[in-house]
Amino acid sequence: MAELAKRPRRPRSKSSLLQKRDRKGYLFILPWVAGFLIFYVRSIVMTLQFSFSELTMDAAAGGYQLRFVGPENFLYAFRVHASFKQILTTSVLDMVVDVPLIIFFSLFIAMLLNKKFPGKGIVRAIFFLPVILNSGAITAAMDLSATMMNGGVTSQVTEMAAAGATTSSVAFSMDYLIDMFVSLGIPAKLLDYMVAAVDRINDIILASGVQIVIFIAALQSIPSSLYEVARIEGATGYETFWKVTFPMVMPHIITNIVYTIVDSYTESDVVDLAYQTAFGEFNYGLSSVFSLVSTIVTCLILVLVCGYIQKRTFYYT
Amino acid sequence: MAKTMTAKTRMRFFKRREKQLNRSVAGNTLLFALMAVCGVFMVLPLVMIVNNAMKPLDELYQFPPKIFVRNPTLENFSDLFTLMNDSWVPFSRYILNTIIITGGGMLGHVIVASMAAYPLAKNKFPGKQLLFSMVVLSMMFSWTVTQIPQYLIISYLHINNTYAALILPAWSFGMGLYLMKQFMEQLPDSLMESARLDGANEWKIFWSIVMPNVKSAWLTLAIFQFQQMWGNTGSLFLRDEQLKPLQYALQQITAGGVARAGAAAAVTFIIAAVPITFFLICQSNVLETMTTSGMKE
Repeated sequence: MAELAKRPRRPRSKSSLLQKRDRKGYLFILPWVAGFLIFYVRSIVMTLQFSFSELTMDAAAGGYQLRFVGPENFLYAFRVHASFKQILTTSVLDMVVDVPLIIFFSLFIAMLLNKKFPGKGIVRAIFFLPVILNSGAITAAMDLSATMMNGGVTSQVTEMAAAGATTSSVAFSMDYLIDMFVSLGIPAKLLDYMVAAVDRINDIILASGVQIVIFIAALQSIPSSLYEVARIEGATGYETFWKVTFPMVMPHIITNIVYTIVDSYTESDVVDLAYQTAFGEFNYGLSSVFSLVSTIVTCLILVLVCGYIQKRTFYYT
Repeated sequence: MAKTMTAKTRMRFFKRREKQLNRSVAGNTLLFALMAVCGVFMVLPLVMIVNNAMKPLDELYQFPPKIFVRNPTLENFSDLFTLMNDSWVPFSRYILNTIIITGGGMLGHVIVASMAAYPLAKNKFPGKQLLFSMVVLSMMFSWTVTQIPQYLIISYLHINNTYAALILPAWSFGMGLYLMKQFMEQLPDSLMESARLDGANEWKIFWSIVMPNVKSAWLTLAIFQFQQMWGNTGSLFLRDEQLKPLQYALQQITAGGVARAGAAAAVTFIIAAVPITFFLICQSNVLETMTTSGMKE
């Protein structure tokens, strides 16, 4: 016994067992991080590098040359460039309008689709269709069939038929309704938002395919015992939604907000502008500035929104 | 017979009561009507694609266009097969390429991202928050604007013009990690704790406890990744015709313009049909995973 007590204690204590386990986590992350560092972090660093320099293609040497120009590209983007600031503002505003609508719409549809009814799989697939049909080849083919249909004449009629919706016929009554609401004393800001929202219904439906699927997966992972308890305790549907469903899908509301913001950013006009500047005007430096600045702005929004919601999120542990 | 009938009616009776507890019949009808309107809008392009694929040439050029086909024919598909046989790389090669690229990219991404998400969701270690912020940041850099750096990296690594140029970047895409982490965070810690007490090592816990419990999440991720990889033409990194995926070959047929209108309609149908089928298979497996079914608290 005495000998045992004299033996120097091993330096590991109980807390280091946990630490050891946590260190094993690195092994799990390693493959992902390796690829991430190689393919993504480096391309971000290179974009940063490009934004501070002037890039010239050197066909003879088979490469490119960078000349450090300092913040010149940034100054040009903000002071000289005709449309960058305006496009950035509209893109960000569009995002702010779209995100809450997409989230509510997709949660709503996901809850409906989560019920058991015949043909459930097909209906879910229908709501995922826009994501599938959004691929390059299909868009190209649809354009081709549109040109075929109007026999080479680019008439508006076909465009409308392709879009599946026309707004001109309802324009008059819309104006009338808006006037009526204004005279009723509804705040103009709210009204603007509503009009913008109604204007985008089609876009919103088309943009919520992925979010619906994420929400369905989230709803599926809510243990049914919780609903059982709620039913036994006599909760109404309304109460069940706010006390069970909503808290349980809360983490995935954040997931979807992040996805929606990323998605609407990568499809926004700013990215188009950056692409045009890079591959239309071959001004890679300026293009990098555009993508950097807009990325930072979007990230700020993301951090603010998620920080706000994260505090109110309930994690079931 | 009679006994089962009564059981059935009784069950139906209970179901009806359950529904009424939650929402009125009128409300339900209204909601489903709304959903139906939205659904019709979404399904319209697909209806057009299916019908176009079966329209004879004169109907394809008809103006004003009709959505529904009047004299359905499979001519477009036989046209497409003739075109396929004429291509100087055997068409089966394109299909093989697509299977390798799509399958490799999808499976690799699901496994690698889930593996990384597990410690991020459940362990504490220094640098966790930083890593996670980097993930979100990386999602913001869209493919279109980082094309040049991406190309440079791929050529530094000398994997240009190989399958790896398409497959490897897909493995480390940020979205999958993010999605899996969010779902794994919801698993109760005690589930893993009990497995640990029973002597399971971390890999075993990950593979046989965590993954089956987040099945709906990784099936969802597989759908997204399949869609991403399926739409990839690989034209930026693959130069050899033998390596190019099906999507590229089909796009070439569509690019043939007005002369190949019929085959192009058939192509569109095939491009749309495959991911839809994949979606249906995956979604039918998204069932309640019963996270806490093994728990007594």
